[in-house]
Order: sequence, then structure tokens, then C-alpha cells
Amino acid sequence: MTHVAPARQSTQGTAQVETITVGKYAPFKGVALTIVNLALFFLLWELIARAELINALFFPRASEMFSAMYLGFADGTILPEIWHSLSNFLIGLAISIVIGIPVGLLMGASRVADLILSPYVWAMASLPRVALIPLLILIMGFDNSMQLTIIVLSAVFPIMVNCMAGVKTVDPSLLRAGRVFGTSRVQTYSKIIFPFTLPFVISGVNQGIARGLVGMLIGELLGGGGSGLGFLLDRAGDQFDAPMLYAVLILLAVMSVGLIQSMRWLEQRAAPWRDTQRM
Amino acid sequence: MVHVGSHETDRPAKKHANTAGSTLIELDEVSAGYDNQRERTRLIALRDISLRVTQGEFLAIVGPSGCGKTTLINMIAGFVKPISGVVKVRGLEVDGPGADRAMVFQDYALLPWRTVERNVEFAMENRRGHVPKPERRRRIAGALRLVGLTGFEKSYPHELSGGMRQRVGIARALVGEPEILLMDEPFGAVDAMTREAMQAELEKIIAETRQTVVFITHSIDEAITLGDRIVVVSNRPGTIREIIDIDLPRPRFDERNDIKRSARFGEIRGHLWKLLSDEALGAKWGSVARQEGGTS
Repeated sequence: MTHVAPARQSTQGTAQVETITVGKYAPFKGVALTIVNLALFFLLWELIARAELINALFFPRASEMFSAMYLGFADGTILPEIWHSLSNFLIGLAISIVIGIPVGLLMGASRVADLILSPYVWAMASLPRVALIPLLILIMGFDNSMQLTIIVLSAVFPIMVNCMAGVKTVDPSLLRAGRVFGTSRVQTYSKIIFPFTLPFVISGVNQGIARGLVGMLIGELLGGGGSGLGFLLDRAGDQFDAPMLYAVLILLAVMSVGLIQSMRWLEQRAAPWRDTQRM
Repeated sequence: MVHVGSHETDRPAKKHANTAGSTLIELDEVSAGYDNQRERTRLIALRDISLRVTQGEFLAIVGPSGCGKTTLINMIAGFVKPISGVVKVRGLEVDGPGADRAMVFQDYALLPWRTVERNVEFAMENRRGHVPKPERRRRIAGALRLVGLTGFEKSYPHELSGGMRQRVGIARALVGEPEILLMDEPFGAVDAMTREAMQAELEKIIAETRQTVVFITHSIDEAITLGDRIVVVSNRPGTIREIIDIDLPRPRFDERNDIKRSARFGEIRGHLWKLLSDEALGAKWGSVARQEGGTS
């Protein structure tokens, strides 16, 4: 079969891998850059605040902010509130995932379920969450369950909608291949539809985290429950305690970035075969 | 217009196959269509198709795009039910997909989250009475050797070229040892060079495994170089325009003796080209052009 030689050459042999040399510190380059970047940011903050270009009441020095943070941790005013917010948030997220994924998958797979549920889902997904606060307070009072409810209501719909969209984009020719090679109904779900949808599920959870954090904060700020980072923020504002206000904001930013980045990491792990579009 | 009802009965078996040519696939006066619920109409895709495919035969189907070729292969696969007539495989009416038929898809249809070997394994793990593990490994290795992908077991489809992906598709179709291989424009998405090489390899593989093949293409050259017979399907609704026996010797891919330069190849090619260009014109300008084309 001399005629097929050209094609053979490229495919018959084993895949070739060569080792390349990479600088010893190359993996830490990004981390180092981030540290330098943040250090410069806080230095600049300190300098601007010291120059008193802006009223110190609104804009404390970075060093004051850090000392407020340190004192808050030391005297135990911050840590219980972080714990309260984080555990509330994680429980709310877990409930949203447990409800959102199956309902979303069902809506994607069944036209009837989609037709019945979609008006409610879209209405709830589009309605600004704050609008629900008075009603929820009316029903549940200033209880913790009200804060939990608002987190779930914020996070569950993006998860649901993404799962539904994921199922609807399953490549029809994969479904045909499934039929040719004899998948049962359950196998079609477990071997084709769910793996295909997984990246959508994760990006839904990702959006759910972002929305859930907002829900958590508005619940704590407006719900009057007297605990959580939102409460800390509210109280610091009332007391004109600018360093504490900034300290809590920084902590919130760290918490959100941590959650969202870890999900993004998971997203890339879940589907290395898909070109993840960067935002 | 040549009618085919009697033309292809008791034709001789495939030249290089040892098995005697008994009828394997049988279509009797089959029509197929798609319902449009909203407009309450039914688009007829195929009309009165009668066809017999003998065991070990390589049947190529050509026709203009949208003529219902894919519907035809989907009926044999069991995805589409005919609106009238019967499709039989080994004398039994087709009722859904089965282990005796495997398909190679134009867009490969590989599971992107599975490695090459796991994709091939997919063909053996779903149906009841599935193959035991050591046997599966042996078969996967065999199928990958056959398509020249040994060494790429752990690669993912997105790491492979189009031609290599389709080799995975072919290995997956062959690994379950089906009697019938259905190929829906399998090389339609690969580049011309790879396409030729893949055709040559397909001929070699089929000579080894002796599957019965139904192969859809819109390339005349591909149909002639691969097929034992060519079915020309006319335009909407698809009917069989003509069935042509390809009496070229095998193997057809031989460097010293290029089959495409032979006079017989040119003759068949010219005939097919004329038939198909009539159909293409018919599709464009309606039935008038087709009549003119037919009489000239």
C-alpha cells in the first residue's frame, strides 16, 4: 500500500513529546507581579490619604484601615460575622444547587416542563431581588431564614437558566450516535447530556455565586438581622467609622474573588475540551 | 430514466468478497417524509425507493444535496420510519437502531470529553449482553490498529486533526463488528489530500473486515473509486434515477496503475456527471430544465 504512505507517516507512529526547559521561577512570575501590584496600590492609597486631598472622614489612610481590620479580628468583632455570612451563603448556595440543577435539566429536556415553568422562572430571574425584601420581612420577620431565602432566590435562577440552556445546546449528532450505539434513556442522560451540560452547570453556579453574594448583602443590610458582614458595614457607616467600613469592603472583595476564582478554576478542569471564553 | 425494480436482483457478489451474495438490506417501495405540524403539510423526501443490497457489497449513493440521501441512510439505521413501504435487514423489518448496523457521521460525533480509546469503547458498553473487559481491550486495540491510530489511545478528539477524528469514528463503528456499515458523507469535512488517503485506507479496511457498506457522498470520483454499485438519487422528492455497476478491478488504489486515468473510469464519470448535472439544473430551474437535459 505505497499509495497511503503519506497519511500513515503522520498517524501510525506514537505521539511525540519533547521536553522543553522553563525558567525555575517562571511559575511564580504572576504571583510576584500581583504582590507588587497590590503593594503599590496600598502605598498610593496611603500617600493620597496622607496628602489629605480627600476628607479623611470618607477616605482614611490604608494603614488605619489595616489596623481597624487587625483590631476587629483581635477583639472578635469581625470573625463571627464573617462566619455568619459565609455559612449562610454556603448553605444558600447548596440549596440553590440542589433545586436549580435538576429543575434546569428538566426544563431543558422536556418541552412541557419548559412551557409550564419558564414564565415563572424568567419573571423571577429578571426581577431585582431587592423588591422582594419587604414581602420577605412581612412573611419571615427579621429572622435568619429571611436572609437565607434571599440568597437562595438570588442564586437559584441563574443556575436553573444555565442548565436549561446547556441541555438545549447538546449536539444532535451526539444524540444520534448514542442511538446508533444503543444507549438507553438513562445512559443518554448520564453519558451524553449531563457531561455535555457540565460546563454550563458550572458557569451557572458561577453566576449564582455572584448573584448570591449580592443577595447575602442586601439581606444583611436591609433585613435588620443584626449579624453578618453586611450588618458590620451598616454599623460602621452609622458610626462614621471609615477605616472599619473600608476594612469590611476589602474582606468582602477577598471573599467574592476567592469564591469566583475557585469556581472558574473548576470550570476549566471540568471541560478541557471546550475553549473557555475568557471574560 | 431507468427504472430499477428488476435491475439489481440476483446480481453477482462483490468481486473480492468470499461470501456469496445473499440479500442483506431490502427496501420495498419505500417513501419517507417529514410532517410540518404548523402548516399541516408533509414534505416528501423519498418516493418509491426499491433497492436490494447484497452481503459484502459496497453501495455508494450519490445525488444533489437535499435529495434525501441522508433520509435513506437514516431509515436503514432505524432513526426514520418510512411513511409507506418496508425496510428490511436480513428479512426482518427495521424497527429502530440495532447492533447489526453502525454509522460513521460526517461531523464525527465523538464524545469530546472521552479519550480515543474510550470513544471507541462507547460502541461496546451500552447494549445488554455487552462485551467483557479484556475482550473489549483487545477489540479496541485491533480497531485502532486497523485505522492506524495505535499510539493515540489517550488523546482527546480536540487534539486530533479532522482526518484522524474520522478514523476514530470508523474504529468506533467497526469495533462492535456490525454486519452493515452506514457512512453519511464520512469524508465530507476533511481536506482533499487526506480524503484520498482515507478512501484508500477504507478500501483496504473493508477488504479485511468484509462489511457491507452503504456510503453516501456527493463526490462522483469518490463514489466510483469506492463503490461496487452506485445509486443515483434524483431531486426532491428523491427517487432512484439509475443504478450503475462499477466493473473496475480492485484494489482501486494502486500507485502504479491509477484507476482514475483508465478509460472506463472516464466513461462512468462522464455518464454520472451528466446525470447529476441534469439533477442539479432541475433543482435550480424546475422541471423544464430537467426535461431538456434528459432529451439532449
